[in-house]
Amino acid sequence: MKAVLDWSGHAFVALGARGYLALVFLVACYHKILAPHDFALDIATYQILPLGLVNLLALILPWVELAAGLMLLVGFRARSAALLISAMMVVFTVAIGIALAKGLDMSCGCFASQGAVEDPISWRTLLRDIGWLLLGLYVLYFDRVPLGVDGWLARRSAVATAQPGAGTKGAS
Amino acid sequence: MRAVSDREQLGQPARAVQSWRSVARDAALVVVGSAVVAMSLNALRRDRLPWIQRAEYQILVPCPETAGQAGEVPADRALLEAPHMLVLDARSTRDYRAWHVERALHVAFDYLEPTPSDMVRRLASSGAKEVVVYGDGLDPDSGEQLARELSGKGLRNVRFVRGGAPALIALEHQGATR
Repeated sequence: MKAVLDWSGHAFVALGARGYLALVFLVACYHKILAPHDFALDIATYQILPLGLVNLLALILPWVELAAGLMLLVGFRARSAALLISAMMVVFTVAIGIALAKGLDMSCGCFASQGAVEDPISWRTLLRDIGWLLLGLYVLYFDRVPLGVDGWLARRSAVATAQPGAGTKGAS
Repeated sequence: MRAVSDREQLGQPARAVQSWRSVARDAALVVVGSAVVAMSLNALRRDRLPWIQRAEYQILVPCPETAGQAGEVPADRALLEAPHMLVLDARSTRDYRAWHVERALHVAFDYLEPTPSDMVRRLASSGAKEVVVYGDGLDPDSGEQLARELSGKGLRNVRFVRGGAPALIALEHQGATR
C-alpha cells in the first residue's frame, strides 16, 4: 500500500482529475449562485430535506462548490477541497438514488434549472455522479503533495527548514 | 520536485503530507467561510432568498400541454363516408352503444386521462389519410378535445365535426323525414 501511495505519478494523474472536477464544479455553481430561487425549487423537488433547510442549502452549497472548485484548480488545500467534493458527491448520489427509487420524474438540477423533460434524472446520472465521487476520493487519498500552491508551499517550507539559521536572520 | 530532493538530501521525510485532521479542519473552514459569503451576498440582493422557507414549494407542475391544432368540419354524412377517412367517436361507451356512425371507431375521450399511447399508435398506423372526430357536441366538445389531443400527439389531418353527434343525429332525422 505504501508503494502505491508513494508512486510519484499520482500528482500528475490527480492534476488531470483536479482540473476536470474543478471545471465541473465551477460550471455547476454558476447558475445556482445567480438563481438561488430556482436552485431552492430544485432541492425541494427531491422531497428529502425538511422545508426549513431547503433555502439554507440552496444559498450555501453553490459557494462551497465555487470554493472547492477554485481550490482544486490552483492546488490550494486541494485535499480539503477533494474531501468537500467527495462529501457533496455522496449526498448528491444518495439524493438521486432516492429520487429514482421513488420514481420521481424530475431534473437533477446539477447544472441548470431545467424541467424533467429536458434533463431527466436517470441511472446514467447516478453513474456519472459515482464516477465524480471516485475521482474526488482519488485526489483525497493519493494526491498527497498536490501540484500547485500546496506543492509550492511545501517546497518553500522544506527549503526554509533546510537552510541553517533560517527564520533567525532578522534577529541577528 | 526539487524541494523533495532537498529534503531527501537532508535525510528528512520526502513528503510533507497534510494530516487528516488538518484536511478536515480546512474543509470545515471553507464551509463556514462559504456560508458567511453566501449569507452576506444574499442580504445585498434585491430578490433575496429567505433563510427559512415558510410556504411549501410548488413542486407539482401541470403536464405539458400536448393539444395541437384541429380544424372543424360541418356535420356531413358524405364526408364521414369517404373511403380514406377514419371516423372516431369520442363519446362515452353508453352513448356510443346507443348510436354511432356505422364505421366509427370508439375512442372515448377522458378529460383527466390521456388517450392510451397504444391506441394513438394504432390510429397512426391505420393508413387513413384523414381523421374526423365527433363528440358529444357540448361545450367543451369531447370530439374537439380528442381531435386536438391526437393532433398534438402527431396525427395529421385531424378534424372534428361541428356540433358533434347531436348534429349528425339531427341530420339523420332530417334525411328520414324527407
